[in-house]
Amino acid sequence: MRQLLALAASDLRMRIRDRSVLIFALVVPLALMFVFNLVFGNTDDIEIEPVTVAVSAPAGDDLAAVVGEVLRSLDGMDGLDVTVRETTADDGRRQVEDGDAALAVLVPEGFGEAARTGDAVTVEAVRGDEAGLEADVVLSAVDGVLDQLGTGAVTARAGLAEGIPPDQLAALAEQATAGGPAYELRQGEASDEQLDAGASLVAGQAGLFLLFTVSFGVTSLLVDRETGTLARLRSMPIPAWTIVGSKALVSFVLGVVSTSVLLLAGSFFFDADFGSPPAVALLVVCVVAAATSVMFLIARVARTSEQAGIATSIVAVVLGIGGGAFFPVSATGRFAPLLDLNPVAALLRGLGTTSGGGGVADLGVPIAIMLGFAATTWVLSRLVPDRGALA
Amino acid sequence: MTTVPSAHDVLVVDSLVRRFGDLTAVDGVSFRIAPGETYGLLGPNGAGKTTTISMIAGLIAADSGTVKVAGQRMTPATTEPRRHLGLVPQELAIYPELSARENLTLFGRLQGLSGKALSARVEEVLELIGLADRAKSLSKEYSGGMKRRLNIGIGLLHQPTLLILDEPTVGVDPQSRNQILESVEALSADGMAVLYTTHYMEEAERLCDRIGIIDTGRLQAEGTRDELIRLTGGVDTIRLSGSGDLAAAAERLRALEGVERVEADRRTATLTVRDAPVLVASVVGTVAGSGVTLADVEISRPDLESVFLHLTGKALRD
Repeated sequence: MRQLLALAASDLRMRIRDRSVLIFALVVPLALMFVFNLVFGNTDDIEIEPVTVAVSAPAGDDLAAVVGEVLRSLDGMDGLDVTVRETTADDGRRQVEDGDAALAVLVPEGFGEAARTGDAVTVEAVRGDEAGLEADVVLSAVDGVLDQLGTGAVTARAGLAEGIPPDQLAALAEQATAGGPAYELRQGEASDEQLDAGASLVAGQAGLFLLFTVSFGVTSLLVDRETGTLARLRSMPIPAWTIVGSKALVSFVLGVVSTSVLLLAGSFFFDADFGSPPAVALLVVCVVAAATSVMFLIARVARTSEQAGIATSIVAVVLGIGGGAFFPVSATGRFAPLLDLNPVAALLRGLGTTSGGGGVADLGVPIAIMLGFAATTWVLSRLVPDRGALA
Repeated sequence: MTTVPSAHDVLVVDSLVRRFGDLTAVDGVSFRIAPGETYGLLGPNGAGKTTTISMIAGLIAADSGTVKVAGQRMTPATTEPRRHLGLVPQELAIYPELSARENLTLFGRLQGLSGKALSARVEEVLELIGLADRAKSLSKEYSGGMKRRLNIGIGLLHQPTLLILDEPTVGVDPQSRNQILESVEALSADGMAVLYTTHYMEEAERLCDRIGIIDTGRLQAEGTRDELIRLTGGVDTIRLSGSGDLAAAAERLRALEGVERVEADRRTATLTVRDAPVLVASVVGTVAGSGVTLADVEISRPDLESVFLHLTGKALRD
């Protein structure tokens, strides 16, 4: 064990002096995080501008008035700042053309009567060229109101077809309009296993570059072989596993440190909240174990450090993209569950759980996936004929 | 070839065979090295020297045959005999991102040294290989010769019973090469057994007490330099050129004691003789007495190159 630690300590010292590991493990992923955050990261922080809506509704039409009331009720809801100006249809159009209003909602004469009797009627919405997302939100609300009123119209038409007297149709239509849907849709947590966009980018990049970071151990084993140092090490009175073990230990330490630093940096720079530190630490240890196990396999099949570098890149990109390092990935079909067995995906899933308040006890599935992946890959590395560093 | 191992031999190699597919890289090689002896394994590139060394150092398994280091069987699975062995690979087996002191300390620890004993030995070796004043510099900043010396220093750090040097002077400038050869001579004088592989016959002649000539995986001959040279018949050559009739002088030259054969024309003569340095004065006097004015006299004595040519029919550097 003393010899294993001596080898690992020297290897770590060389990796740090070499600086390439610092670049691959920290600088590049951090830089990518900043770039991706610039490109995608502000989708959570959209600024809602105040919006002015010109509404033209015929006087005395109580259903037409509902449209204006609904728009007024949007003011202050979810950060919306809505100003409703009652006006005529022509003036409403002019205000939009002049840019005084973002949107004009023009309710025609006879709207209420048509809604009650089920006749067709058109509400005109004029959207300004420079209207932003706010106008679309308001427009959606108007659409919703009209849908509900349309329900009343359909009810009235159905009643007429069934021979209900016209004097009862209006009451029936109002009842249908006023009544809520038969089901209730309540807004809840998106999912307790999903990170927000910023945190997902941080975790994804940490997972992707972890695979490059741990590859330094196996690459150094192959470089040792190419330089003759491995022959010298193997001529010494130490068990053969000590050499491989020291490289694996170096990979593991580098992986744990780099992933932890990246997650911490992500929390600091991008306000990513990954939740319980012990739970996150457990996830980091498990995903690094899984990534290191891949390197055992690569060490078994790669003959040169160049081959190992190429194999590592392929594995990193496949597992990284498949795991959602750049964007969420979902698949259908018979092999879709394989995506879930990806350690990077498991890391993101686990961090989603911890960020939603989950603790160590809630991480059974992602940890099982990561450790299962590590065990499977390690067994595979034992079964594959050795044509690599120790052949 | 048979060897008679002594109970005290540091290395006993017996009938080693190693095949790579259809190629038999090492084919029944046997030899032994006594304590304090420097044994040279001389052969061209691809002769099987490095494969033989790899089996001796326990890096690869032999298909058949055995290796014993300090009386203990060496295989890729054994650890104990490795304590007696110091390997200096042909490549620069050092860590360029570590200094000389850090390299020596690391490999010393792996050899089981520790504490003050390790520190003291590291300083001794730094002095021995002439790197004490550059001990803190990263070895990637060293010259080729300095790296070679560090490469050797690591091999002898733990004072092994047997030091294996695999072509340690390949790609080294003449000055560093001479330093390396002097170091090996010093180690041998201190009683360390050395197995030295090379394809430079002058190194083998200078350093080795006994030499094994290896080609196509087989040990073609083994013995001291003189023993090997005797295999060629042990005759020297004197070549003469000049003005006058050398052909006419040939008869008088054939009459000299020790001259075995003379081939001559008017301007040149080639004599095959027993001991050229002793005979050359008589030869020159005889030719001058025949009215020939000599322009050039050249003596050739058989060397290991001649031995290799004699044994294999090809030159050592082919």
